Amino acid sequence: MRFNEKELVFLSRQPSERAAELGMRGPKKGDVVKRRVVKLIVNFLFYFRTDEDEPIGALLLEQCRVEREDDQVFSIVFLDEAERKYLFECDSQEQCVEWIDAIVKASYEFMRKNLIYYRTEIHRLTGKDPLEQYGISDETRFQVNSGLPPLPPAAT
Amino acid sequence: MKLNERSVAHYATCNSPPDKTGFLFKKGERNTAYHRRWFILKGNMLFYLEEKESREPVGVIVLEGCTVELCESESEEFAFAIKFDCVKAKVYKMAAENQAAMESWVKALSRASFDYMRLVVKELERQLEEVQEEARSSQAKSMLKKHQLQLQGATFSLQNATITGPSQEGVSSRENGVSWSKPPSVPNGVSNTQGDCSERGDGVRPPPVPPRRKTNGGSLESPVSPGTGCFSKLHDWYGKEVAELRIEWLQSQIHW
Repeated sequence: MRFNEKELVFLSRQPSERAAELGMRGPKKGDVVKRRVVKLIVNFLFYFRTDEDEPIGALLLEQCRVEREDDQVFSIVFLDEAERKYLFECDSQEQCVEWIDAIVKASYEFMRKNLIYYRTEIHRLTGKDPLEQYGISDETRFQVNSGLPPLPPAAT
Repeated sequence: MKLNERSVAHYATCNSPPDKTGFLFKKGERNTAYHRRWFILKGNMLFYLEEKESREPVGVIVLEGCTVELCESESEEFAFAIKFDCVKAKVYKMAAENQAAMESWVKALSRASFDYMRLVVKELERQLEEVQEEARSSQAKSMLKKHQLQLQGATFSLQNATITGPSQEGVSSRENGVSWSKPPSVPNGVSNTQGDCSERGDGVRPPPVPPRRKTNGGSLESPVSPGTGCFSKLHDWYGKEVAELRIEWLQSQIHW
């Protein structure tokens, strides 16, 4: 599958939400733990060799599950191939917990759920759709019932 | 650079709802003709498939950091371009089938970035907090009002209640009934009988004076004896007593 690699590499150089050197093990049998610089940027997890500027790879963090494997270890699995685990070894429990939290919140789908929740709550408490003022109430991505008609216009 | 391509491709066709789908013409990268492809927009990823029924995308455009522009094309009407900021960046030239489709796609694509979504979420989060804060403070205000009314009510009932103090052997020291002086009708001050250590400059009438109590050698302990000259201390002490009576009353209601 083709993808715009240059642009993705460019993205990997942007300010990250979180970055650290972790032990990383790939999902293939026989993969071993290697020290990698791991950077979380929007919904991508980039990983670099410790002394290189260009990432070796990127993981799109949609449709995945993050789990605590051990005190200081977490894993990422993608729902379409749940047997394949990417393992990450942290330096402390705290760091492990923080990474898990950050990755869970890094998906576009997670943000969409939050947005829908806030939108619905504000509408419930005030009778107004907060997205109307921005002219984006009809956008599919903001719909409460994924694809169903948008919220009725606010009563005056 | 590696990408978890299989899972990314799966994201395209899995059952999570897409943000937009439709046919668009995309200018080829090697073959510069425009090819009709089926497009699926999910989040900040724009997938393109050979056919609507294809199980796998031909490719994906990561939209983060892109700008979308209308463009003049000699060969295609309703043309627009997806551009990136980086050096030697690709320009994806696209064309829609009609004006409405073009406008709709341009709008959807320019708002597809993760950053944009994050901004909107933060703004709504802030708005919700504001709304909740307002609700809390107006609730607090109405509760305070209720409390004040109840306090006045309790004070009133205190004035009418029969209060018996502890009795001591051999001495009848019961306080019965309440005798009290007429509440002062001084508009902004405090009655002279109680001394005046609290200035009220706002013209508000002080609450009715609670009854004077006869205590029996300190058995009704009060930090301040009723004869005290400081009204505010007395006021506080009676206020506390009223609050305690109110709590007792409320608790007694619960057992019904």
